[in-house]
Amino acid sequence: MSTTLHGDHPITRPDAHVHLGVFFQGVNHTTVWSAPDAGSQIDVSSFEHVARTAERGLFDAFFLGEGLRLREHRGRLHDLDVAGRPDAITQLAALAAVTTRIGLVATQNTTYNDPVDLARRLASLDVLSGGRAAWNVVTTDNAWTGANFRRGGWLDHADRYERAEEVVATARQVWDAWPEDGTDDRVARVARHGRLVDVEADPTVPRSPQGHPVIFQAGDSPQGRDFAARSADVIFSRHGSDLGDALAFAADVRRRTVAAGRPEDDVKIFPGTSVVVGDSPQDAREKARWVRWNQVTPQTAISFVEQVWGEDLSQYDPDGPLPAHDPVVEVIGVERGAARDGSRAREIAARWRTLAERDGLSIRELVVAVNGERGFEGTASQVADDLVRFVRTGGADGFNVSPWIVPGGLDDIVDRVVPELQERGAYPTEYAGTTLREHLGLRAPLTRRAAVPVEALA
Amino acid sequence: MPTSSSLPARARGAAVPFAVGVDLDGAGAHPGAARASGLADVDLVSGARLARTVRHAENAGFTFATFADALLATEPGARSSARLDAVTRAAFVARTTTALGLVPVVDTTYPEPFHVSSQLASLDHATRGRAGWLATVTPGSATPAAYGRAPAADLAREARDVVRVVRDLWDSWEDDAVVRDVATGRYLDRDRVHAVDFAGESFSVAGPSIVPRPPQGRPLVLAALDAVADGTADGPGGPLVDVVVVPGSDVRSARAAGAAARAAGAPRVVVEVEVVLDVAGHGGAARLAALDAARPWDAAGRLRHVGDAAGLVALLRDLATGDDALDGVRLLPALLDDDLPVLARDVLPALRAERLAAAPRPGATLRDHLGLARPASRFDARLTA
Repeated sequence: MSTTLHGDHPITRPDAHVHLGVFFQGVNHTTVWSAPDAGSQIDVSSFEHVARTAERGLFDAFFLGEGLRLREHRGRLHDLDVAGRPDAITQLAALAAVTTRIGLVATQNTTYNDPVDLARRLASLDVLSGGRAAWNVVTTDNAWTGANFRRGGWLDHADRYERAEEVVATARQVWDAWPEDGTDDRVARVARHGRLVDVEADPTVPRSPQGHPVIFQAGDSPQGRDFAARSADVIFSRHGSDLGDALAFAADVRRRTVAAGRPEDDVKIFPGTSVVVGDSPQDAREKARWVRWNQVTPQTAISFVEQVWGEDLSQYDPDGPLPAHDPVVEVIGVERGAARDGSRAREIAARWRTLAERDGLSIRELVVAVNGERGFEGTASQVADDLVRFVRTGGADGFNVSPWIVPGGLDDIVDRVVPELQERGAYPTEYAGTTLREHLGLRAPLTRRAAVPVEALA
Repeated sequence: MPTSSSLPARARGAAVPFAVGVDLDGAGAHPGAARASGLADVDLVSGARLARTVRHAENAGFTFATFADALLATEPGARSSARLDAVTRAAFVARTTTALGLVPVVDTTYPEPFHVSSQLASLDHATRGRAGWLATVTPGSATPAAYGRAPAADLAREARDVVRVVRDLWDSWEDDAVVRDVATGRYLDRDRVHAVDFAGESFSVAGPSIVPRPPQGRPLVLAALDAVADGTADGPGGPLVDVVVVPGSDVRSARAAGAAARAAGAPRVVVEVEVVLDVAGHGGAARLAALDAARPWDAAGRLRHVGDAAGLVALLRDLATGDDALDGVRLLPALLDDDLPVLARDVLPALRAERLAAAPRPGATLRDHLGLARPASRFDARLTA
């Protein structure tokens, strides 16, 4: 099933460009690792290929995720999905030397990083890349993840956004400590004595051409949205598969942005998505179905159902029906990753059983149906039309595309969709600027606005 | 020209060339280097300068480059204290080098061991096996304040715990953990990925690592003598430190310290040499005096060569030959833009001509350059079978 653009939504931004980013996903089941064309998930050449292809396609940014503990399934290491990834900032620094324009986005957690140390590493990437670095802020705080770190599970779940705000504020202090070029000013000392960050430091990193790394935020809760409205430049959202839903989300974010005292368009919105391009609509549909079936192997399907039911279901046939009995656990644990943790198992099971009965779905068919990532599918021309409509009605500023195969998964988009977007006047034909802030059309960093008058964006 | 019988043991077909490392931090190792260079802060730390300096070092045939580092400004408030994170710098040149070992300085006292392990493993993947770690300790109260923590109680023991868990994390994935078995749908063989369950004196780590086993198995670990408690003690997995950096302000004491460290279990020993060379009409002594006038380079118990290239070659020959020969050096050029070209033109070629040193082979690992075997994971069941 592809992204839905139903409804009569008017074009409100007739000249808007579609922005694209690539999310080279880490641990996940969306990458089809079993195909013969699937390359290494850890060798640096895979990362280089994707980054260079994206840069050839004039993408704004290349994202890396972060997972701070290997996922587990029912008490044992989860072995069905891709696992094993490089440290984001280290990898992006290597890619900085073999790219020239594309932004480099590191997902970094605020609970298990030290603010001064993290701010220094991000600023180092920003300087070395000539102003192309960004930080995708995530707040995972559970004690299971914390078992890998000095402080263990130290942070109360309710405090994670307060901690994130303090960490980001400290980072901005570090980035602002260096004096402007051409002045005799000295480097300022950083001091922050908050409840959840208590540090003092004399920092060492000069300013990059873009001032601060760009800040992305990836949290969908009301707290997460408020955090983005107050502190972020871009929201990396989950609202990219239904235009009506995306418009509602965008309106909510804009409202919060204004309430935080910022111009309405100060925060860009980038949903995650996938793209399948075919030679014809039929070809695209078949390809997309192939991708979804290969993303959810028989074993993966059983594993998903085991996660909800909380028991061993290995004797079940993936091509047979769901278990007739109820799940044995109430709440799904955190060890399988953020997407499902804390959800009510019985509710999910009931929903799934209803859907399976209504449509006559086997276990595997059901998992594909509920879990398949909705994305854009069609001919290059159709995909381009859909992307343009999504953006020009105000549903998003751009999309963060996850290739379903590595390293070649972006080739179709760059070779076939980008030219269609360019033909529609909805995509640049060259990088106009050199920094990520320029690619995204952002204003100056938030703490530098007193120095620069806030103007309406073109 | 020496006759064959008088050639040093190394030249008579001994296993491993003398390793010549060089520190490439900022404008140079002298405390006054940044100011003396005349470089603006942004130029001092730029990617262009870093790439160029490292390229020159690789072309010159150095065995490895180190990147000195510290979290906080050496001179608070001064632009000349500009410096970027060392692992990030090393990673930036990962794909533009093919032979040079890349050895960032990373503190053990305050950073998160889990992150240190991931960063260095990632550097090893990005360089395809040329990563090293010069592990240091950080005394004083300024750095813990930057982490919001109390000062560490025992630096050497904390260093031991940190190096141990970092190494365990590198070992936690066996080499062939990724199986990609379509028939069973398994990307990983979960029996080849191990929890670490490390419990140290001040912290614990569950593991496994989030990064697959590095190409070298374990990146090379270097540390100053006594920085890491029990650093060369025998234990499961062998000594924690692969290369001990021994002190010595003259050749005799350096050789003695090297011999003692070897006797205590150090697989390899190197010594540091501060270098201020004669450069195009400016004698080393005069250059040093001018640099010292701004900020003095205090004697730190290290060898120091102030003078011509031939004298440095003689010094290095001395360290590299004989019964108590060392395995290598870490050179600390006072001012990189001035000293590095002389090293490249007049020092390394002379060492190579005498077959004391050799340019590292492109595609070889840093362990290969040092003649060290690739260690098996200590969790590999076949070892205990």
